[in-house]
Parts: sequence; C-alpha cells; structure tokens
Amino acid sequence: MSFAWLGVMPFLLFALLFLILPTMKIVVGSFQTNEGGFTLANIANLFQPSILSAYWISIRISLASALLGCGFGFLVAWAFVLGGLPGWIRSPLLTFSGVASNFAGVPLAFAFLATFGRLGLVTLILRDWFGINIYGLGFNLLSFGGLTLTYLFFQIPLAILIITPALDGMRREWREAAAILGASGFQYWRIVAFPILWPSLLGTFALLFANSFGAVATAYALTGSSLSIVPILLFAQIRGDVLQDPHLGYALAFGMIVVTGIANGIYIWLRARSERWIK
Amino acid sequence: MRTNRIWSWLFVALAIAYFALPLIGTFEFSLKMRRAAYSLDAYAVVLGDPRFQQTFMYSVLMALATIAVGVLLVVPTAYWVRLKLPHWRPFMEFMTLLPLVIPPIVIVFGYIRLYNTSSWLPLTGSAMGTNVLLMFGYVVLALPYMYRAVDTGLRAIDVATLTEAAQSLGAGWVTILARVILPNVAVAVLSGAFLTFAIVIGEFVMAALLSRPAFGPYMQLLGANRAYEPAALAVIAFLITWGCMALIQVVSRFAPKPPEQLH
Amino acid sequence: MADPFLSIQHVEKSFGATKVVHDFNLDVEAGEFVSFLGPSGCGKTTVLRMVAGFEEPSAGHILVGGKDITRLRPNQRNIGMVFQAYALFPNLTVAQNIGFGLRVAGASRADIDKRVAEMLALISLPQMADRYPYQLSGGQQQRIALARALAPKPKLLLLDEPLSALDAKVRVSLREEIRSIQKELGITTIFVTHDQEEALSISDRIAVMYGGKAEQVGAPFEIYNRPATRFVANFVGTLNVLEGTVTDASAGTVRVASQDVALKGKLDGSRTGDTLSLALRPEAIALGARPGHDSKLAGEIADVHFLGSVIRVRVGVGGKQISLDTFNNSSTPPPVVGDKTEISFSSGDVLVLH
Ligand SMILES: Nc1ncnc2c1ncn2[C@@H]1O[C@H](COP(=O)(O)OP(=O)(O)OP(=O)(O)O)[C@@H](O)[C@H]1O
Ligand SMILES: [Mg+2]
Repeated sequence: MSFAWLGVMPFLLFALLFLILPTMKIVVGSFQTNEGGFTLANIANLFQPSILSAYWISIRISLASALLGCGFGFLVAWAFVLGGLPGWIRSPLLTFSGVASNFAGVPLAFAFLATFGRLGLVTLILRDWFGINIYGLGFNLLSFGGLTLTYLFFQIPLAILIITPALDGMRREWREAAAILGASGFQYWRIVAFPILWPSLLGTFALLFANSFGAVATAYALTGSSLSIVPILLFAQIRGDVLQDPHLGYALAFGMIVVTGIANGIYIWLRARSERWIK
Repeated sequence: MRTNRIWSWLFVALAIAYFALPLIGTFEFSLKMRRAAYSLDAYAVVLGDPRFQQTFMYSVLMALATIAVGVLLVVPTAYWVRLKLPHWRPFMEFMTLLPLVIPPIVIVFGYIRLYNTSSWLPLTGSAMGTNVLLMFGYVVLALPYMYRAVDTGLRAIDVATLTEAAQSLGAGWVTILARVILPNVAVAVLSGAFLTFAIVIGEFVMAALLSRPAFGPYMQLLGANRAYEPAALAVIAFLITWGCMALIQVVSRFAPKPPEQLH
Repeated sequence: MADPFLSIQHVEKSFGATKVVHDFNLDVEAGEFVSFLGPSGCGKTTVLRMVAGFEEPSAGHILVGGKDITRLRPNQRNIGMVFQAYALFPNLTVAQNIGFGLRVAGASRADIDKRVAEMLALISLPQMADRYPYQLSGGQQQRIALARALAPKPKLLLLDEPLSALDAKVRVSLREEIRSIQKELGITTIFVTHDQEEALSISDRIAVMYGGKAEQVGAPFEIYNRPATRFVANFVGTLNVLEGTVTDASAGTVRVASQDVALKGKLDGSRTGDTLSLALRPEAIALGARPGHDSKLAGEIADVHFLGSVIRVRVGVGGKQISLDTFNNSSTPPPVVGDKTEISFSSGDVLVLH
C-alpha cells in the first residue's frame, strides 16, 4: 500500500469543498422540499412555459454562438495555418485571440452597445451613410440575434485558440499523399482531414456551448433582466428579485448542469466513437 | 494555392473587421462625452471616481490572492501527480476541466447555500469570510488554465531526474519545490497568473452574488446609470486584458523548450 | 535507343532568390530503378517533388511517356509516391489506406477489396488489413505505404528516403523487398537516398547529385569504379587521396611522399612539374607485395581496426594516412601499430583527379 495519494490531499480537499460539494448541494436541493423530504415537484415546476422558453432561448443562443464560433474560428485558423498567408500574421492573431477570448463580461456588453446600440457607431454609419436603419429592419441587440452576435466576440477567438494546435498537427505529407493518389482537395478533406479534426472540433463545440450557456455578465449588462435566458433567471432568483421559491432556484441550476452535462456527454460519446484510430 | 490565399485573406479581413469595429466603436463613443468635440472627459470622470479606485483595488488584491493560493495549490499537486501518480492524470484532467462545464453561477449558488450563516462553516457570515470564499471561487475559475499551464511547463523538464538530483544533495520537499521545481516552471506559472489576473479583474457573477465591492459589479452598475463612462471603462478593461496577454507573450520567450516530440 | 519513359529536361528550381536545382537532366527507361544519391540539401527531394507535381519547376520540362506533364497537378499525374515517414492516413485502417487511391477514383467496392487483398499479399502482410497505422511498426507502415502507392497501378513510383526512419536491420531487408517488388511489377522507379550502400546495392543506375546538379549518372559499378568527378569519388565509398608531383610525364613517374611511383598510361595531358591527386579505394591496396601490383610505397602502421571478417589498417605515408582492408586470417596475427611496412597497388586502379 502506497501513501503517495496523500500528496494530492490538499487539492482533493479543495476540490471537494469548493467544487464538488457546492454542486452536489444544488443537485440534492433540487429534489428536496423545504422540510428536506424528497420531491419531484421542483423539477416539475421547471416545465412551465416561461421557464421552458428561457431554457429554449438559452440553448438556441448557445448552439448558434458555438456553431458559428466553431465555423468562423475554424476558417480563420485554417487561413493562417494552412491557407498560405505570410507567417508574421500568425502571432498577432493568436495574441489578439487570447485577449478577445478573455474580453467577456460587462465591458464586452458596453462595447457592443457603443457599436451596435441605437446610437452606436456602426448603427449610425449605416443609417447616415448608407441609409440603412438596422433597427428599422428588426435588428435588436437585446435579442437572440444581438446576443449571439455579441457572444461571438469571445467564442470565435476561443475556437481559434483551440483549433490552431489541431490544424498545426495536420501533416503536409497527408495532403500530398492524398493528392498524388488522385484525390481532389474536397476528397482529401472529406476522407482524411475532416475526420482527423472532428474530435477537436467536437471538443471546441462542447466547450463553446458551455461557455455561452453559463455566461451571465455579458447578457445582464447588455439587457438587464429584460431578456429571459436561464442564467439571468437564476441570477434574479438568487438575488431574490422574482420567483420566491428557493427550491425552484435549485431546480433551475440543476437544469443548467444537466444541459451542459448532456452537451459534454454527447461530446465524449462522439469522440470515443470517432477516435478508434488514436492510441 | 493561389485561390486558397485569396480566401484566406478574405476570412482574415472579415475577422479583423468584426473584431475591430466594436473596439473602434467603443473608443469613439468614449470620446463623445463633451457635446461639440472629442474629449477624454469620460476617462477623467471614471478615473476620478473614488468607487472606481476602491473596487479596482479590491479586485487587484483579489487577483493577487487568487494567484498566490492557486500557485500554492496547483504547483505541488501537478508536480506530485507527474512524479508519483502518473495514472491519476486523466482524473486530474477531468477535475480541472469541470469548472469549464459547471457554470460559475451554479457554483456560487452552491456556495451561498452551503456556507451561509446557519451552516457548519458560516463563511458568508463575515466580510472577511466572504472575501475568502470569493477568492476560493476565483481559484476554481482559474483552475483549468492554471493547471494546464503548469502541467505543460512540467512536461518540458525532467521532473524525476531533477528531484533525484536535489534529493541526492540532501534537499527536502519544500526546498525541492521552491528552489528547483518552481523556478523551472516559472514561465508557465506566470502565464497562468496573468490569465488569472485577466479573469478575476472583470469577474461579475460571483462577486455580485456574494455582494462584494469588486470591479465587475461596479462596471455593471455604472453601465446601468451612465452613457459614456461605460465605454471608457470598456476601453480600460480591454487595455488591462491586452496588457495581461502581452505579458504572457513576453514571459513565454523565456520558456524552456519542450523536448522534441516523437511521433 | 527508344524514347525514354521519364525525361527530365533542363529543369531548374529557385526558392526566392536561391537556386537549389541547376539545369538538371535525366532520362529513365521504362522499368528502370534509378537512385538519387547525394548529401543533405543537394536538391534530391526538390527534383522528386517536381516530378510528383508538388513544386513547379522554374524552368525546363518533365515528360512521362513522351507527354509533357510539367504543368499537370499532382492528382492528375498517376504517379505513386512513398514519403520518408508518417504519411499513412492515421484515421483509416490499413485496408482503407491501400484502397484510398481506387476509392477516390470511384472504383467499385469489389474491385477495391480485390486489389487491397492483392497488395497485402504482395507485401506479405495479409493479416493486417483491419489495423490502424498506430498499431504497426515503422517497417510495416512503410510497406503499407508502398502498397498504397502501388495499388492504383501508377506509371511511375517515387520513393523519398523511405527507409531513413527505420533501424538498420529493417532497412536492409526492406530495401531488398522494395527492389524485388519493383522487379516483379516492372515499374519505373526513382529512389532518393543519402545512403550510398543503399543506392549501390539496389539500383540499375545512380544519379549522384551535388549542389543541385547531377554530377554523374551511371550504373553502380561505374559510379564506384570510374567516378567522373572528384566529388563523386569522395562521396561514394572510402577513398585515399595522395598529393603527388609529376617528375617525368613521358615515363609516367610521380613523386609521392618523397618516393617515386610509376603510373604508366595514367598521365595523359599532364606535364612534368604538375601536381596531381591520386585516389585509391581501400580494397585496391595490399599490405606487402601481391601478384599484379606494380607500384609500392613504404610507410608505417598507424592504426588497426578489427571489424570481424575484415581488418581495416591505416598506414602513414609521408604525413598522410592511407586506409586499406585486409581479410581476417586466423593463422596470421594482425599488423602491429608502429611496424614499418610496405603497401602495394596496381597502377591501373589509381584514379587521377585533376
Ligand atoms: N520550400 C522551400 N523553400 C525554400 N528553400 C527550400 C524549400 N525546399 C527546399 N529548400 C532548399 O532547397 C535545398 C534542397 O533541398 P532538398 O529538400 O531538395 O534537399 P535534399 O537533397 O532532399 O536533402 P535531404 O537529404 O536533407 O532530404 C535546401 O538547401 C533547402 O533548404
Ligand atoms: Mg530530402
């Protein structure tokens, strides 16, 4: 019997106290009555139209911003890794991605208000120079589309940062071997490159999804409580602004864990299926 | 090849436009406080606001405490796992990635319920206790980045040989960690530290829900009540983030190169 | 002579301002096995990649079967290529790797399966069909890579240092296997290597390259025994070089290390007083006299290496060391360092390098 595991005790204790137990508290609490008995009523309470629609819009925003983030992030990463751009462009782009992926939260909301808000720079330029009134056309920063557009500001750079190493791992020989065997560029991507990148893309997608699903600050600073997405609902609930039932708060939080858990479960399952060729 | 390059330039140009516009827009907006001309009035108001100074200092101190505790927690753990418990690595990887999967708002909600005044460990009962709790929350948020950075840094050095060499010279564990391992992963630790700083300084949800006077909630409050100052704040926040990333770049130049990977 | 199958004509290549291939010319007959041999950075890979279509020549033409393919894209050339290493698709099984060329050409499942089975039999790895590349040794991977290159029945096979990532034993057995498969299929092949033994042992002809030029093209025997330039002589095999001064051009005597050596018929075009370099292979020199050896030099044993069947001896001759090989013989003791000795050789074996 070795006692080597004792060396990680401090870490395990920390993780237990400040990560595992708080999460467990939420999970357990969502199945408890005020008196501490078991109940499914809290979970059942989630299935009311206003809460369901909040989950639905949260999931849609997260899916859209994760999908677009992966897509655009992939294209940009491809452009400077494989697309034949001069080498000097890489380092500033990666540094900027590091900055932008961390430039989330309250200031990001301010930036988008100052740019795409009713008096924002882009809004005014489009209106005064091109005669396009985007608000007249139905655009609203405080909506599904507006929030997705805002989230992309940190989602795309995050995707770039994760996908770049994967693209760096694509060997030139694979491309050349495919070409000399008669494959077109499209065939190479379909049969070789894309399946190799698939696990990284899936991982990026799962991370981006969780990233935007749990984001509170940007949405809250942008919309106050006017846009009903789950994290904002939960935020208001914890503050005691609305929804007086504390156990509904547990259930809301539990629902968030379930959604990100499912997203990651799907990711792990798909990855295991697509990675048979990796040691 | 040539068509490739045209597409590449197009994607990069689009990306630059998307990322530059909000920055330019914000900057331009922040200069418009005075009616007739561009001015730095908004910055003067923000920087002169005592609450700005207080909350900013609070968050800076929080960030420093988070970094100190994070390093003390992560470096020995990552070192020990590499040295003695290599088969624990998948487990550690899972644990340190959890904070990316469980939303921070859920974690802090758990804190509020678990450590309230009537619980076995009433951390939220006092201001100091809440500060400590918030700091641990930040350590959790920083964990994925910190652990990653340090673990990568440890990979670049031969942990086992360094340890044996130090032991053969009679060094104890504390000496080994402080005098041998830490200097060798200093660059990784610094990278993790700057990233942690960038995360903590603007963090909103944990500080707001624990009602601490941090920079994030202050920015939100200002945003709800003012027009031009928030834009100035956003520019300042962007510059801070950018400064942190630039520092990571600078220290990375001094990183020991990882050993050549065998394919 | 019939038209060559592959004809590389006046090909040049520059990367930016540096020219790495200069006026390269080579004709390869159908079914021939030609090696490119040369030091690192001499342009072997670059020439091969131009034949494959991965690089575009700055000047010149490449013809296959009389047709100019210089501007054709790689996927239209019907050429097989084996890379140095790691070029198997990691996400495809062995069978899928081998079938890749047929699959992208739109062959039917049945045809692909049949061809894959044939190829696996050809490289004697029939039980490996369902493995992934990471489950194979380096040597097995390169054999699969060979099978993959050959499966679509290419007109031409290019191999770029396919053995250099493998360990010595596998390298020898695999090069023989490559050669025998090549002969069996009769496929025209270019093989790049910087290992002279490899090139000498399996090629029909060798093109020795240096500084982006073909220094000499010829059969291994010719390259080794009649190197055309000083570089070829030095690069291929071990060579002893002695500096000498012509003392009498008409009689053919040269003064080497204060001793006279007679080299009849070797000094055409030299005049008395010229300095020359005389080159000799180690195996052409004997310790002491030997029938047929008409020249000799006195020296002193400087070094003895026992290599098993062969003993390599270094003899100091007037400040220079000369390497020579003698066969091991259990009844005669090996030479002793410091002994005075005499070496002999046939003047016919001397290469005069101007
Ligand atoms: N894409 C490129 N850009 C610039 N220079 C190049 C490029 N490819 C090759 N070179 C240069 O061309 C020269 C010849 O390279 P090449 O790869 O053909 O050499 P080689 O004979 O195959 O060498 P080795 O035995 O090391 O593989 C080298 O000096 C190399 O630096
Ligand atoms: Mg080469």
